[in-house]
Amino acid sequence: MKQKKSLLRGLLSFALWAITLFLFGQNISVNGIVSDTEGEPLIGVTVQVQGTSIGTVTDLDGRFALQNVARNAILEISYVGMKTEVMPVDGRTRIDVVLTDDTEVLDELVVVGYGEQRRREITGSVTNVSSENFNMGVTRDAADLLQGKVAGLQITTPSGDVTDASRIRLRGVSTLQNDQGPFIVIDGVPGGDLQTVAPQDIESISVLKDASSAAIYGSRSAGGVILITTKRGSAVKPRVSYDGYFAVSSIANKPDLLTADEWREYARETGKDTSVYDKYGANTDWFDEITRSGTSQNHSLSLSGGGSGNNYRASFNYQKREGVMRDNDMDRYNFRFQLQQRAINDRLRIGLTGSATMRDFNRPNRYNFVLAYNMLPVYPVMLDEGEWFDTREYDQGNPVRNQQLNQDHWKNIHYYGSGDILFNLTEELDIKALLYKERRTEERNQYNHSESQAGRNDGGYALRENRMWDKNLMEWMLDYNTEFGTTGQHRFNALAGYSWEENEYSYMKAANRNFTTDLLGANNLESGQGLRPSDVGSARNMSRLISFFARTHYSYMSRYMVTATLRRDGSSKFGANHKWGLFPSVSAAWGIAEEAFMDDVNWIDDMKLRVGYGVTGNQSGLDPYKTLQLYGTSGTYYDNGAWLTAYKISQNANPDLKWEETAMFNIGVDFFMFNNRLNGTIEWYDKRTRDMLYTYRVPTPPYLHPDMMANVGDMRNTGIELALSFDAVRTRDFFWNSSVTLAHNKNEITSLSDDVYTTSRIMVGDAWVRGGSGRTTHVVEEGYPVGQFYGPEFIRIDDEGKYLFRDKDGNEVNGVTAEDYTYIGSAQPDLTFGWSNRFNYKNWDFSFFLRGTLGNKVLNMGRMTYGHPGYLIGANALNDPLIYDLKVVPEYSSLYVEDASHLRLDNTSLGYSFPTDGVSWLEQARLYVTGQNLFVLTRYKGLDPEVDENRNNGLAPGVEDREYYPKARTFSVGVTLTF
Amino acid sequence: MKKIYKFTLIPFVLGLMAMMFACTNLDETVYDTIPADQFGKKPAEINAIIAPIYKTLKNVWPSDIFLLSEQSGDMAMTPTRVGGDWWDGGVHMEMKLHTWEPRNGLIRNSWDNCMSGITTCNQIYATIEVSEMDADLKEQTLAEIRGIRAYWYYILIDYFGNAPLVSDYESTELPGMSTRQQLYDFVVSELNEIKDQLRDDVSDESYGKFTRGAAYTLLARMYLNAGVWTGTPNWQGVVDACDEVMELDYIIEPVWKTSFEVNNQVSREIILPAAFGKADGGNHMHYRTLHYLDPIALGMNIGTWNGVSAQPDYVKQFDDADPRKEGSFLMGPMINPATGEVLVTGHGRDLNHTVDFNIIPGTEREGMWGEVNQEEGARVNKWVYEKGLSNSDQENDFAIFRLADVYLMKAEALLRLGQNNAEATSLINEIRERAFGSDDYNYESVTLDELYLERRLELAWENSNRQDMIRFGNFLKPGYLRPQTSPEHLLLFPIPETAWETNNNLVQNPGYPAF
Repeated sequence: MKQKKSLLRGLLSFALWAITLFLFGQNISVNGIVSDTEGEPLIGVTVQVQGTSIGTVTDLDGRFALQNVARNAILEISYVGMKTEVMPVDGRTRIDVVLTDDTEVLDELVVVGYGEQRRREITGSVTNVSSENFNMGVTRDAADLLQGKVAGLQITTPSGDVTDASRIRLRGVSTLQNDQGPFIVIDGVPGGDLQTVAPQDIESISVLKDASSAAIYGSRSAGGVILITTKRGSAVKPRVSYDGYFAVSSIANKPDLLTADEWREYARETGKDTSVYDKYGANTDWFDEITRSGTSQNHSLSLSGGGSGNNYRASFNYQKREGVMRDNDMDRYNFRFQLQQRAINDRLRIGLTGSATMRDFNRPNRYNFVLAYNMLPVYPVMLDEGEWFDTREYDQGNPVRNQQLNQDHWKNIHYYGSGDILFNLTEELDIKALLYKERRTEERNQYNHSESQAGRNDGGYALRENRMWDKNLMEWMLDYNTEFGTTGQHRFNALAGYSWEENEYSYMKAANRNFTTDLLGANNLESGQGLRPSDVGSARNMSRLISFFARTHYSYMSRYMVTATLRRDGSSKFGANHKWGLFPSVSAAWGIAEEAFMDDVNWIDDMKLRVGYGVTGNQSGLDPYKTLQLYGTSGTYYDNGAWLTAYKISQNANPDLKWEETAMFNIGVDFFMFNNRLNGTIEWYDKRTRDMLYTYRVPTPPYLHPDMMANVGDMRNTGIELALSFDAVRTRDFFWNSSVTLAHNKNEITSLSDDVYTTSRIMVGDAWVRGGSGRTTHVVEEGYPVGQFYGPEFIRIDDEGKYLFRDKDGNEVNGVTAEDYTYIGSAQPDLTFGWSNRFNYKNWDFSFFLRGTLGNKVLNMGRMTYGHPGYLIGANALNDPLIYDLKVVPEYSSLYVEDASHLRLDNTSLGYSFPTDGVSWLEQARLYVTGQNLFVLTRYKGLDPEVDENRNNGLAPGVEDREYYPKARTFSVGVTLTF
Repeated sequence: MKKIYKFTLIPFVLGLMAMMFACTNLDETVYDTIPADQFGKKPAEINAIIAPIYKTLKNVWPSDIFLLSEQSGDMAMTPTRVGGDWWDGGVHMEMKLHTWEPRNGLIRNSWDNCMSGITTCNQIYATIEVSEMDADLKEQTLAEIRGIRAYWYYILIDYFGNAPLVSDYESTELPGMSTRQQLYDFVVSELNEIKDQLRDDVSDESYGKFTRGAAYTLLARMYLNAGVWTGTPNWQGVVDACDEVMELDYIIEPVWKTSFEVNNQVSREIILPAAFGKADGGNHMHYRTLHYLDPIALGMNIGTWNGVSAQPDYVKQFDDADPRKEGSFLMGPMINPATGEVLVTGHGRDLNHTVDFNIIPGTEREGMWGEVNQEEGARVNKWVYEKGLSNSDQENDFAIFRLADVYLMKAEALLRLGQNNAEATSLINEIRERAFGSDDYNYESVTLDELYLERRLELAWENSNRQDMIRFGNFLKPGYLRPQTSPEHLLLFPIPETAWETNNNLVQNPGYPAF
C-alpha cells in the first residue's frame, strides 16, 4: 500500500511537471472538425502530424483533437476518396478542414495497366466508366454495364441463351483466329473472366483502347484491355447494401411459320393431299410450345467498412435467370471478400481477396429450333392417350419431348484467391508483390432419353464431362514516384515488374449408350450397353508465360506529358525460333488548357491533345504444343482380330509460330468545356496487324497434313471515334444529361501471303440448306474486310419461279458458276452508335438508352432455308411470299443478305429514391422499373439484326442461322437499399 | 534490431531478384501427346506407328473415290431429290452428265485422299527406316508401306493419270508432275521389288495387311489396264500375276455373302480389305444410301441420308434368278414392322424403292437432270445391314481386292490373248455357280462381252465400274440421261484447282482449262 501511494505521488508530480512544461513550452493542443464540401462531417479521417507518430482519426461528428503539437507543425489530413490536405498549424488551436472529393473529374485517379494515373495526365486512349454511369436492369456481367458507353467498344449479345457470354470487340477484328476481344484484368490480375465479378461489385471499368496504353500487357493485348476495379470498403462508416430485382422475359421475336390453317390453305391451293398428315385435328405453334415467359431474380448483398489502417468488403450475389427456351436456365452465386490492412507505420499494406463463382445451368438444345421450323402445325404435341407424338422424318421430331425428357446440365465453379503486398521501401519507392491462384472446374451431365428425337437412335445417350483449369500467377513490381522542382512541377514515375504465369488444363469424358431404363439418366454410366472406345476421352496441357515490363511517365505541370512502356513476353506456346517478343509503346500529351495563352479562354476548362504509338500482341489463337512434332493417337487399327490404338504424327509442326503483332497509332483530343457541361473525346487510329495466325492449306506431299498453322497475313483497321457528354439541364431540381458515342471502323485484310504460304482468297462459311452443301458464304480476301459476303448477285425471281442472277458479264441468267460470284455486302457496320439520356427530377430518375448500327449485312438463313416450298407439305415453311414464288432449291445469294442497320431501345429505366433524411438507419432507398430490348427498328426480315460475331472462328460473322436462339424482351422491378 | 533488419533485407531482395531472372524457363511439358523423338522404340509402338498406312485405306470406300468410280460410270448415281436434297451445287449431276470441272468437290477430295495416303506412307517409311528393329521384320514392314503407297499411286494413275511422284519424306521441295507412264513404271517396279519381302500366309494374322497376294493382285490390275494407261497391253503379265495369287491359300468362299457380312473378316476370299470398326469412322454406306425411314423397315436405329442409288439400266442387266440382284440392290416397298403397312415419305408417297427414276416435270436443271421423288431408286444392299444397329457406322469391311476379281482378271486376259477359252470359261463359271448356287447358269464358252457383264454383276458398288468401262471402251459412249458421246479428255479427271493453289508446279491434264 505504501509503495503504491508513493508511486502515485511520483506519477502525479511528473504529470504536473509535464503539464507545466507543455503550457509554457512550444507545444499546443489542436482540435477541429473535418467535413466535406457539403458541410457533412467526415468520420474516420486520418489526421497526422507530419514527421511524427502523433496522429488520430475523427469521431462520429468529424471532430479530432491532438495534444502536444508543435506550433510550427504541419498536419496531414487524409481520407480515402478525398484529396489529402496539408495544413501548417501556425500556432492555431482550432483548425477546421474541408476535404474536397478526389473524384473531381480531372484529378481523379484512373486505373491503367499496373497502376493508376491522374486523368489529366493520361497520355493513352483510356475510357473510364464508373458505377453511377452503368446500365441498369438485368445485367449479367461487366459487358452489360458498358454496352454503348464506350466509343469503339462493340458489345453484342449473340442470342437469347442465358448461358451465353457477350461478344466484345474493340476497334474491329484484328485476328483470323476467333477474336477473343479485349484482355480482361480484374483488380490487377491479368486474364480474368467477366463471369466472376457480379455487376453490383464493380466500382469502375477502364477500357484501354490504344496500343500505347495496352502494350504493357504485351502479347495478349492486341484486342485492347478492360480493367475492372471492384468496390472497396471505406472508413466512412460500416455500410450494408442490398440490391434486388425481379424480372420477366418473353421472346422478342419468333419466325412467322405457317399456322395450321395457313398450311391447310396452302395445301388446298396447291392441290395436295393432306390426309397422311392432318389426322389429329391439331393446331400447334411449335415455337410457342418450346418457349415460355422466363422469370429472373437477383439478390445482391454487401457489407463494407474499415478503420484508419484497414478496410474490408464482402459481398454475395445470387442470380437466377430463365431463358425463353424451356430447357434453358442458370443459377449463379458470386462470393467475394476483400480485406486490406496496413502495418509497420503504414509502410506495409497487405490485401487479401477471395472470390468464388458457382454456376448451375442448363444448356438449351438448339436443334429444337430446327425441329420447330420443320414440324407441321397440324401435328400435336401429345396424342389423346397422353402419349407423345413423334415422327422420324428428316429434321423432324418432337422438340417439346426433347426439352422435357432430356437434360444438359452443367455445374461450374470458379474460385481464386490472391494476396497483394505493398511495402514502402522509401517515401518514393514501393515494392509490390501479387500472388494468385485460380481454379475453375466444370462438370457436364447430359442425358438424351431413349424415346426423344435426340436420344432415340442411341437407345438413350448419357455423357459426363469434367474440365479443370488451373492458373498460378506471381508478380513483382517496383514503383518509383517523385516530384521535383521548386513547386513540384516535374512529376516522374517509373515502374518495373516481373510476371510468371502458368496455366494447366485437363479434361475427361465418359459416355455410354443403349440403356435398359431411362431412370438413371447420366448418373450410372456403366449401366449402358453400347460403350464405344470413342466414348471415353481425356486431354491435358499446360502453358507458361513469363514477362518483364516497365513504364516511365513524366509530366511537367500537367502541361507536357510523356509515357513510355516496354514489355518482353516469353511464352511456352511460341515456337523454338521465337520464344520472346518485345512490345514497346510511347505516347505524349499536351495539356493545351494549362498553357499561359489559354488563361483568358474561360469556356474551356481543359483540353488535351494525345498522340500514341505502341505494339501489342495476340496469342489467343495459339494452342499449347502447336509448334512441336508430336505423336498423337489416331483412332484404332485392325490387327489379328483386335482393334489396337494407332499413333500418328499429329500435326505439321511449325517451330516459327509466334504471336500476332498489332501496331497502333492513335491521336485524340479530350475536352471539357462550359464549366464541364460538355465534355468529350475525338480519336483517330490506325491499327495494323501482321503475322496473323491462320491454318493454311499446304500441299501433301511434301507436308504430311494438308494444313499448317503459320504467321502470315496482315490486316488493317482504321477508325474514328467520338464520345460526347452534355449536361443539358443543371438546376437544383432537374438534371438532364445526354451522351452519344459514335464509332466508325474500316477493316481490311491487306495480305494473306508470304514467301512460303500463298493464297489471296479463302472461302469460308457454310450456306447449308437441304441439297445445298459445299457452298460458302464469305470470302477472306486481300483488300476486303473480314465478314465479306461473297456469292451471286440476285436480281429477281422470274416467271418460272427461278432465281435471276447477274453473271460476270452483266447478263441476267438463271444459273451462275463460281466465276460469277461477287461481293454482296459486309457483316461489319460502317457506324455503331449509342445514345443515352439520364434525367433527374427531385427524387425521380429516368433514363433510356438507344443503340444500333448502320451499314452491316446479315444473312437470313432462316428465310433461305424455310422460305421455299420444296418440302411442303411434309415439312413446314415460313409464311413468306417466296413459298409461292420460288420453284427451285434455295440458293445462297444477295437476296438473303439483308441490310441489318438497326436502332434498338436497349434499356429504359424509371426510379424513385425515397427521402431518407429523417431515417437514421437508412442511407439510401431506391425503387426502379426497367425495360430491356423494348423494340428494334430495322428493315431486316429475320429475327434479330444482331447475331453472333464469332461464328466460324469469326470469319463468317453476320449470319442468323437455323438454330438462332431469339433474344428476350425483359421487364424488371428492383430495389436498392443502403444502410 | 535495425541492423538485423538491414542484413536480412538485402540478401532477401537479392535472392528475390536472382529467382526472378532465373525463372525464364519456357519449356513445354507435353501431357496428352508424345514428343516425336520419344516414341517408336518398342515393337508395339512401332506397330502403332505403322497402323496409319492401313487407316488411309478407309478413304477408298464409300468415299468420294467410290463416287467418282461408280457415278462417272453407269453403276450408281445420287439423284437430286424433290425439294433439292443432294443437289449440292451439282457435284453429283456433273459425274452423271460428264460435265465435271476442276472445282468439283468430289474430285478434290479424291485427289486429297490419294496425296494424304502417299505422304502418310512416306513419313512412316522414313520413320521405320531409321528405327531399331529386327532386320527381317523391318524389311517386311518397309515392303508393306511401299505396297500401300503403290496402291495409292495406282488410284492416281487410274483417276488422274499424271501426278507428282514423291517417295522421299525428307524432301521439302514442291513436287512437279510426273507422267502416267512414269507413275506406272514406278508402281510396277515397286511391286516387283517388294513382292517377295511380303508375307504370303492367308490367316487371321495376315488379314488387313498388305501381303504378297495383295501385291500380285495390284500388279495384275496394273497389267490389266496397261493398254489404257501406257498404250502397251500386258495380258500375259495379268495371267502370271493372277496365277501367283491363285497359288496362295485364298478361296472362292462357297457363300457369296460371306465377303459382305458384318463380320466378313472371316472371309478367305478377301485379299486386301479396308478394315472397318464401329469405333472410328467405319463403313457408313448405310447412312449414304438408305431413305430416312428405311431403318424402321430394316430394324435399325440410325438417321440416314437418302443418297446414292443404282442407275436403272445397271440393275436391269441382272437376271431375276441371279441372287446377286437382290443381294446387291434394295428394291420394292418398305414395310413398317409395327403396322405391317408401307411407310410413307415426307411427300405423302409410299416408300417403294423403284428401279426407275421419274424426273418430276418442271424441275429440270441441266440437260435431262432434274428432281426425283425420295423413294425412287434401288439402294445398296450388298453389305449386310446389322439389325438393331444403334446410331453407328457398320463393321462390314470393304474388300479392295478379292479372289473373285482375280479370277475374272485372269479370264479376261486369257480371252484377250485369244488362248484357252476353256480355262477362262471355267473361271467365270466358278464365280457364277457360287452366285446362283447351281451350275444351271454356267457358260459353255465365254466372250469378252460376257466376261464384261460378269464383272459388272459380281463387282457392283465395288469401285470397278469406271475402270472397266474405260478398258472396254464404253465410258465415253452415250448412256442413261446422257445422250451424247463424251469428249476423250474425260478419261482422266482434272487436277483439282485447290491442289494447284497450294502447289503451282502442278500442270492441268489435257482438255481442261490450263491453270
